[in-house]
Amino acid sequence: MVKSIVILIVLSLCIGTGAWLIFIWTVKRGDFDDVEGPKYRMLDDDEENSSPPGTSQGEKK
Amino acid sequence: MSSPDTCVHCKLPIPPADLVVDQIDSKELHFCCHGCQGAYRIITGAGLESFYRNRTWDEQGVPSGAFEADYDEPSLAGHVIRRDETTADISLIIEGIRCASCVWLLEKLLVREGGVTAIRVNYGTHRAEIRFNPQATTPAKIFSAISRLGYLPHPFSPGAAQQAAAREQRSLLIRFGTAAFLSMQLMGFSFALYGGYFHGIDPEIRQLIQYFAAAVATPVVFYSGWPFLAGAWRSLKNRSASMDLLISLGVSTAYCYSIYAMFKGGEVYFDTSAMIITLILLGRLFESSARNRSISGIDKLLRLAPDSASRVDGDEVNTVASASLAPGDIILVRPGERIPVDCQVLTGDTEVDESTVTGEPMPILRQAGDKVSAGSLNLSTSIRLKVEKVAAESFIARMARLVEEAQNRKAPIQSMADRVATLFVPMVTTIAIGTWAFWWFTGASHGEALLNAVSVLIVACPCALGLATPTAVLAASGNAAGKGILFRGGDILELTSRVDLIAFDKTGTLTHGQPTVEQIIPASGQTETTLLELASRAESGSSHPLAMAVLARAKTAGIQPDPAGLVTAVPGRGLKMQCKDGEILAGSRTFLTESGVEVPTIDSDTRTEVHLSLGGVWQGLLLLHDPLRQEAQQTVRALKKLGLDMVLLTGDRPETAQQVSENLAMPDYQANMSPADKTAWIETRQEDNHTVMMVGDGINDAPALSLADVGCTMAGGTDIALETSDLVLTRPDLESLHIAIFIARKAMQVIKQNLFWAFSYNLVTIPLAASGKLAPVWAAAAMAGSSILVVSNSLRLGRLVRRTFSVAKPPASD
Repeated sequence: MVKSIVILIVLSLCIGTGAWLIFIWTVKRGDFDDVEGPKYRMLDDDEENSSPPGTSQGEKK
Repeated sequence: MSSPDTCVHCKLPIPPADLVVDQIDSKELHFCCHGCQGAYRIITGAGLESFYRNRTWDEQGVPSGAFEADYDEPSLAGHVIRRDETTADISLIIEGIRCASCVWLLEKLLVREGGVTAIRVNYGTHRAEIRFNPQATTPAKIFSAISRLGYLPHPFSPGAAQQAAAREQRSLLIRFGTAAFLSMQLMGFSFALYGGYFHGIDPEIRQLIQYFAAAVATPVVFYSGWPFLAGAWRSLKNRSASMDLLISLGVSTAYCYSIYAMFKGGEVYFDTSAMIITLILLGRLFESSARNRSISGIDKLLRLAPDSASRVDGDEVNTVASASLAPGDIILVRPGERIPVDCQVLTGDTEVDESTVTGEPMPILRQAGDKVSAGSLNLSTSIRLKVEKVAAESFIARMARLVEEAQNRKAPIQSMADRVATLFVPMVTTIAIGTWAFWWFTGASHGEALLNAVSVLIVACPCALGLATPTAVLAASGNAAGKGILFRGGDILELTSRVDLIAFDKTGTLTHGQPTVEQIIPASGQTETTLLELASRAESGSSHPLAMAVLARAKTAGIQPDPAGLVTAVPGRGLKMQCKDGEILAGSRTFLTESGVEVPTIDSDTRTEVHLSLGGVWQGLLLLHDPLRQEAQQTVRALKKLGLDMVLLTGDRPETAQQVSENLAMPDYQANMSPADKTAWIETRQEDNHTVMMVGDGINDAPALSLADVGCTMAGGTDIALETSDLVLTRPDLESLHIAIFIARKAMQVIKQNLFWAFSYNLVTIPLAASGKLAPVWAAAAMAGSSILVVSNSLRLGRLVRRTFSVAKPPASD
């Protein structure tokens, strides 16, 4: 009983630590420095990779 | 694809003389210059036409004429950071980025440039990091590639202070992330412990879980909570009490007692200490990112002045750092370069774009003897200038310093929290010690006396107090942002709620800022058409709102202006043009009278007059009218109902001002005000203990906007004005001013309720705890309950705003 609790807690701590390390890595990489740009970047790349030009929706004049 | 008189590429209106027509894909396209045509060909040639569909440009771009400068290698080389033989980095700031598509275009096109390996453009700060192969390309080539597209690159090396700020922001983020991650783990353990407390738990397992809880809580307290502990230590050394001390006191008591209880077999409160730290760090994170945004605004202002200047030493011209220029030095500024420091023109006539400094959109002629400000852009010819002020004393630096000072001032709310702490900390400590002493001397066991003292410290925990203001400020600014209103911080929210006098600028604020020609009154012997032709000839090179109105009218009358001649602009007065028929003057009555033209008296009602003369003879006048915003009247009425005083401050004639104030039922007006008059007027009102808000639209109101307790700008103002004002209305709708004041007042109400609750909670629970009626576990629960109450009271704000404004008025269409 105690043993299994310890194993489970340690396991959850390990998973959590993994996520935490990824978080630290992304902060160090500067992923949080520009929080405005990515939402637009996402829309732009979409069009270039897949559909041919002219088929995009929401076209502006 | 575009209307015939705006450029396909840059969307700026095309002065008729500069029209460039190109046939691309059997379509006729109009450009304002060959630079734009070239950029269009580059972009379409690269298959990136979607740029033109996706972009949304609301702001002014880089004026034409800015692109003639060459980039020279030696001065750029200093900014290059070499990694190894084939990799080097350079940081730059790119002027002219107006939307996300610009970022996209730059990234797409520059990686196709040979030798560029990676590029990342930051949309928020307009900074770009470029990694390139120095053997394949040079910084100058990259710079010219950027400028060919119509953007203006500046090399950029962040200062020590900025790097420190960026590091601090990152470390804060990591501290918070760590605290949040560990608190989530801790929550799981606490759940088990709480369950055990109510339903019984095997002591061995409880001990085990407590060890785990201690293991995850320790880094939260000592790593994430380090800023608070350090702050508390500082304030102890200074013998002053601060919020940090109060937080540290609560956190460390809960933590230390838990450690003690863990070994003694009692209940632990690690979750209390971890939660306090996590929540307060979250508040700090929001605060610091708001501050960083405003720092990047100052950045933009400062980088307008170039780092290097060309100093004339005898016969040779040396490139020196702008900071080393001394008053009396002679410098050379070529077309396309910005002026590094405040100067006086020695030789050369040139047109200068001062829009960033004065907000005046059209270039101004500067001749020998005229003064020019740092940051303005030299457009037409090379000029020699005498340095008047050192870089640190120049206009831009002074301006940036003013803004920075304004932003670093301590928020009154925060200082209030500190004042509270000054009273609260000694009081709570005394009560805790008193409790312990009382129980000890009345014969209770050592453990019981300590337990009661700890209960006091835990219920007195400043959680509700600490959350009272930040949550309300967050809820208020979040809801305001949804309505297109940006408060530049909690103190602005508080000041806005206390405003009792609003000063309005007229043009562009109460009116649309787009005048139209209403009436044409030619002199006898002239026809409307000839007068209009004359007017459009003089105004065709200008982008002043009045000139645009005249040109628009000329176009509907089918007049093609013939812009032959040299135009000189006299700011605030009018235009002078030399042409084959003589000198044309177009401008205000005073402008013509001063130039010796006899102007007859004409009842122009309240409209703006543009008089015209040819060769010293009055030819007639145009009457222009700038209509009021349709919601202006309603807003003024609503604001009056809130008990606010309003006044109109305008540079216009008294007649116009009077009519506007009558139309709007605005009680007071001041006409013929220069920017300096406006400032002086606001100052006298502030001396009478008024809290003044100034609503304006441009940087030429900047002194008044920054002096006023709250400076409010509306969308459409210059970039810098928007970045530096306290309150920004992003929709061109005056109604949002009403909403802003409503939200600010409600937010202050909520904050007061919160503080009141937090205090009365302490007032009730501290005596309970001291009398030994409250076990620490109940104290912790009560504390959590009070926090929830405070947070939900703050969230009430959103509902309040929605109920008041969306039911009363259907959403305005843009």
